[in-house]
Amino acid sequence: MAEIQLRNVSKRWGGFVGVQKFDLTIPDREFLVLLGPSGCGKTTTMRMIAGLEDPTEGEISIGGRVVNDLEPKDRDVAMVFQSYALYPNMNVYENIRFPLRVRGIDPSGHDEKVRRASAMVELDDFLHRKPAELSGGQRQRVALARAIVREPNVFLMDEPLSNLDAKLRVSTRAQIKNLSHELSVTTIYVTHDQIEAMTLADRVVVMNKGVVQQVGTPTDIYDRPANAFVASFIGNPAMNLIEGQMAGGVFTAQNTRIAGLSGPDGPVTLGFRAEDATVGAGGDGDGAGGAITGPIYTLELLGDATMVALRIGGALVSAKTDKTYRAEIGDPVSIRITPDHCHLFDTATGARVGD
Amino acid sequence: MASKAQTPPLALRAATYGFVAVWLTLAAFPFLWTLWGSFKVELDFFSITNWTDALTGPRTQETHGSAFTGAGYEGAWVQEEFWRAAINTFIVCFFVVCTSLTIGTLGGYALSRSGFRYTFWLLITALIFRAMPPITLVAGYMLPFFEWNVWGILPTTIIVLVAINQPFTLWMLHSFFQNIPKELDESAKVDGCTQFQAFRHVIVPVMWPGVITTGLFSFLLAYNDFAVTSMLLSESNRTMVPEIAAFLGTTYTEGNVMFAVAAVVSATAPLFVLVMVFQRQIVSGLTAGAVKG
Repeated sequence: MAEIQLRNVSKRWGGFVGVQKFDLTIPDREFLVLLGPSGCGKTTTMRMIAGLEDPTEGEISIGGRVVNDLEPKDRDVAMVFQSYALYPNMNVYENIRFPLRVRGIDPSGHDEKVRRASAMVELDDFLHRKPAELSGGQRQRVALARAIVREPNVFLMDEPLSNLDAKLRVSTRAQIKNLSHELSVTTIYVTHDQIEAMTLADRVVVMNKGVVQQVGTPTDIYDRPANAFVASFIGNPAMNLIEGQMAGGVFTAQNTRIAGLSGPDGPVTLGFRAEDATVGAGGDGDGAGGAITGPIYTLELLGDATMVALRIGGALVSAKTDKTYRAEIGDPVSIRITPDHCHLFDTATGARVGD
Repeated sequence: MASKAQTPPLALRAATYGFVAVWLTLAAFPFLWTLWGSFKVELDFFSITNWTDALTGPRTQETHGSAFTGAGYEGAWVQEEFWRAAINTFIVCFFVVCTSLTIGTLGGYALSRSGFRYTFWLLITALIFRAMPPITLVAGYMLPFFEWNVWGILPTTIIVLVAINQPFTLWMLHSFFQNIPKELDESAKVDGCTQFQAFRHVIVPVMWPGVITTGLFSFLLAYNDFAVTSMLLSESNRTMVPEIAAFLGTTYTEGNVMFAVAAVVSATAPLFVLVMVFQRQIVSGLTAGAVKG
């Protein structure tokens, strides 16, 4: 029904590149998350799909129809803005009804549709309030209801949760996930929060500086990052990255020696996740794989776990260990990793090498 | 305790109230004096021998048998047909406000939503034209107006007043529009509006106080203008302000100064009513943008 295709879509402002050759097919009913730091082009990509921005080159089609020259209103998309963009002079009911009204949809069905949409986001009791009289979370839900009321082919959401406080964000996130499951409409969701991406997405597109870094399921992206940028962006804490040398399957760096790896010789960056490492006493470096040894730089108690960090070169390397683990700053410690938990990246290009 | 600590000392309070009272009297005095005096004869209002004559009005009593007389008003409105000037003022103001608001709203909206850099220079140019004394424009156009035979009529004056007024309305409305987030237009467009529908259904309702405030300012400019109207309008087409000036200018007859005084009061009264009616919109229009809504 509403498969979205982007073919080599680019956006430039003068010499500044916003989006570079974005090429992707989004199948019908997929929940796709565009993820990246601010200024990476994710919002620009979404705005080009919505028709609020013209691509400099490339072709966008929705449901098999090229939409490059169509006005936003003719693309049959609905969008939720970061700032909600509610109409301040209309009450909640009129806000939700607005898309139906301006599109000239038969007025006899309006009431039922508005009430169904508002019920889905639990706004029934607020229909007669003005947006100014609502809390941030309620405004967000009005924006959602306004988007779903006319059952569009495509949903676009531009950082819809970023203006909410942490607690509300979790519950609204759950609500969005549930809604998208119920409506099963193609959804594109922009965020810089990797947890939102991991929890909501069928597929994630990681972007940086206008360029797509990796496209894949959340598990793909977490377990097999395509390059050092993705590795350092996904996960909390981000993946540890250590610059060093490979020779004959052995990685060495300051205080670090890990054997049994498969990768080309030369300078590489080794990455591993904090939860894949184990922490042992200082000095016992010879187990399976290898270890990083050194004095503890800092120790963080998280409640459910303890994070131990060492300083290797300029970088902090952290490992997650049992919540009962106790040590002092400066105590010698070794962080052990098995080779199958290690990721290797080319130090110069950042691209994944080896397996 | 707390309430006592917050209450200023009696002397300070007395001084504050006293200051406000004195200031109010000073500010209102010219208006009240004119209003009072407009019901007297000239020899009382402009009495050289005793200024209290203006208050008590002995000569007014002598002439008209009462301390108050409507003779000034009757002379201005009936004898000198001041109502013609009032109608002319109404026509001029109506068309000036409508034209400059239409151009200003559409232009201000377009400039605030345009991403091009020339918008800045357009606005700066507008500001320069606004800074010029209006009389310079009039002086330059007098001759062509005579040659084209369009001098002395209302439409010419309306066009010149709009031209003088437009930069200001454009600036003011532009800054109002800039305070309205672009997401509102964009949201409306995605919801199914054309650009113009987004403007009409979403932006204008939000803008309303700004439009009223700007409209009032351009109304006042047209209403109070003397430089343009006095030079461009023929005697039979005069608006109120040059008509009042004409009353003053012909001091060879006794009654005419009092006609002017009565006409001034007549011309001021509608302004009070206007500001009273629109005061809420004016205040919210003037403070809009001070805090982000």
